[in-house]
Amino acid sequence: MSSSLGHALALPAPDIAAARRELVRQTARRSLTRRRAASRAIVVVCGLAVAVSLAPLAALATYTIARGMHALSVSFLTHAPTPPGIPGGGISNAIVGSAIVVGLATAMAVPTGMAVALFLAERRGPVADAIRFAADVLTGVPSIAIGIFAYAVLVEPFNHYSGLAGSFALAVLMLPIIIRSNEAAMGAVPRDLWEAGLALGARRARVVRSVVLRGSLPGLVTGNLLAIARAVGETAPVLVTIFGSTLFTASPLGPLAAMPLTIYTDGTQPYPTAQQIAWGTALVLLAFVLVLSIVARVVAGRLNRRTR
Amino acid sequence: MAPTLLEEVLPPQLTPVAGVRAALERRRARPGGRAYAVLRWGGAALFAAVVVGLVISLADGSSQAFAHSGLGLLWSGTWDPAHLRYGAGVFVLGTLVTTLVAIVLAVPIGVGTAAFLSEFAPRWIAAPLSVLVDLIAAVPSIVVGLWGLLVLSPVFARHVEPFFKKIPVLEWFFHGPALGPSMLLAGVVLAVMILPTVVALSRTALSAVPVADREAARALGGTKWQVVRSAVIPGGRTGIEAAVTLAMGRALGETIAVAMVIGNLYTAPHSLLAPGATLGSAIINTFAEATPGLDRSAVIALALVLLVITALVNAGGQLLLRSRMRARTA
Repeated sequence: MSSSLGHALALPAPDIAAARRELVRQTARRSLTRRRAASRAIVVVCGLAVAVSLAPLAALATYTIARGMHALSVSFLTHAPTPPGIPGGGISNAIVGSAIVVGLATAMAVPTGMAVALFLAERRGPVADAIRFAADVLTGVPSIAIGIFAYAVLVEPFNHYSGLAGSFALAVLMLPIIIRSNEAAMGAVPRDLWEAGLALGARRARVVRSVVLRGSLPGLVTGNLLAIARAVGETAPVLVTIFGSTLFTASPLGPLAAMPLTIYTDGTQPYPTAQQIAWGTALVLLAFVLVLSIVARVVAGRLNRRTR
Repeated sequence: MAPTLLEEVLPPQLTPVAGVRAALERRRARPGGRAYAVLRWGGAALFAAVVVGLVISLADGSSQAFAHSGLGLLWSGTWDPAHLRYGAGVFVLGTLVTTLVAIVLAVPIGVGTAAFLSEFAPRWIAAPLSVLVDLIAAVPSIVVGLWGLLVLSPVFARHVEPFFKKIPVLEWFFHGPALGPSMLLAGVVLAVMILPTVVALSRTALSAVPVADREAARALGGTKWQVVRSAVIPGGRTGIEAAVTLAMGRALGETIAVAMVIGNLYTAPHSLLAPGATLGSAIINTFAEATPGLDRSAVIALALVLLVITALVNAGGQLLLRSRMRARTA
């Protein structure tokens, strides 16, 4: 008994230990080689995914620029459309229409959205939770459903399409974006600063103006600009409310033209001249949206640095 | 309490306490404070009214159609306004199929891209590409639709669709003439549109995983991929699921781009190459020619159905997120 235990405990001969160590080392090396190869393969696959996801969008951008440049000229931007079959003509009506509709929508959505964001940033409790939930739900509502809502409320009772109804639809669409981004920006202002302001004896309105709004300005600017960029390109809700127009009109109470609608009606026609106008309008719209997005980011970065 | 030095020198109405109290009272009397409360509560009330009004007006507007067709409106496959038959079945099917195609294409590619940008690529590559993805997310859907219709559709008709028809097992899904506009093309266009959403949100989720988790996996001898698989993806999983839910909501509700490339056929599609319609595209196309009354009411009913479907998907996503978070904190 004791002799067999002693035998088992006896150290293996040095050459056996070395062999085992060598075995472990080789297994480890093989495992590492295999795992490294797998890792490298996955990295390559993910790199391909990047190429695949960027390719269609790069193609889209270059195509829009290439085709749009053909259509683009000064008179394209400053003239109203000509009747079908007559060459020339531009999209001034669509640019002005888009500006009116989106401008009105901004005037409606930004003050309301900022007020709601303030409400959410300042208050806790069931009312705030319900509002936040409503904003989240509204974010997911398809834009066409919002368009139909605006149609039911502002077009059907008055029996005609109007720019105002389109502005309302876009404002509803912008609201949740503005609310959530502005609330996040205001919430990022340290609680201590709110309290310091109140401790200095300032009224809440004064604290909001001098501390909260000033502190969160970059975030507010970015959030609101991105909401505007989103609204400019929306087509479906605008189509069912302002309907579009080939005439130069500037009254928000009647039908208006808008850039997305020009792209839709001209782009779905089989005639090359109409498609040319659609590409030109798409380029103008794309440039506007991208410039707005870039400005939003740059402004945010600049202001961020200054406040820091 | 002994009077302070100031109070000995100054008359009582000029001591700091009295001065502050007077200033406070003067301020309270000013209308600004009241106006501020009105502004906040007014904004919140207005917003609540809009959300409630949205649901009520769609329900009210569609009541005539539901009274006419009953609940069969939800699944009946015939949409024939000329004979007063309204069924959203084909559109619901089209919406679900195109969204499924988009998700199947966009999620693996999008998450792979996010993993590359967040984990594998060096900063000098990842940073500009991330900005690029964010910018691409801002491209209006009408521009994507125009490109899908005028550029992608001919390519699909000539090359892509005939190619799929030749693959033995897949031919069950891909048969019929290759026309270009089809459920498949709509799904692909949707995938292009939701890709930036998937990439941007998944990347944020993956980047938010603590560095310590990565270092722990690395210290155990993991390779780059093993670190990602065992530490980063489990940690960012909730965020990725949220990204997919949001992208799905966008795909379900997208209207204009789909209407341009799906071919707008109101009969049940027998193949992915067949033209079809989704709820959104059907609304846009039937809207202009709908006569006031029952016809319009049926179109509003389509909007209500779409609203309910997207709300269910979003609510499901929210619940999933919350249960996951609770499971983790417990």
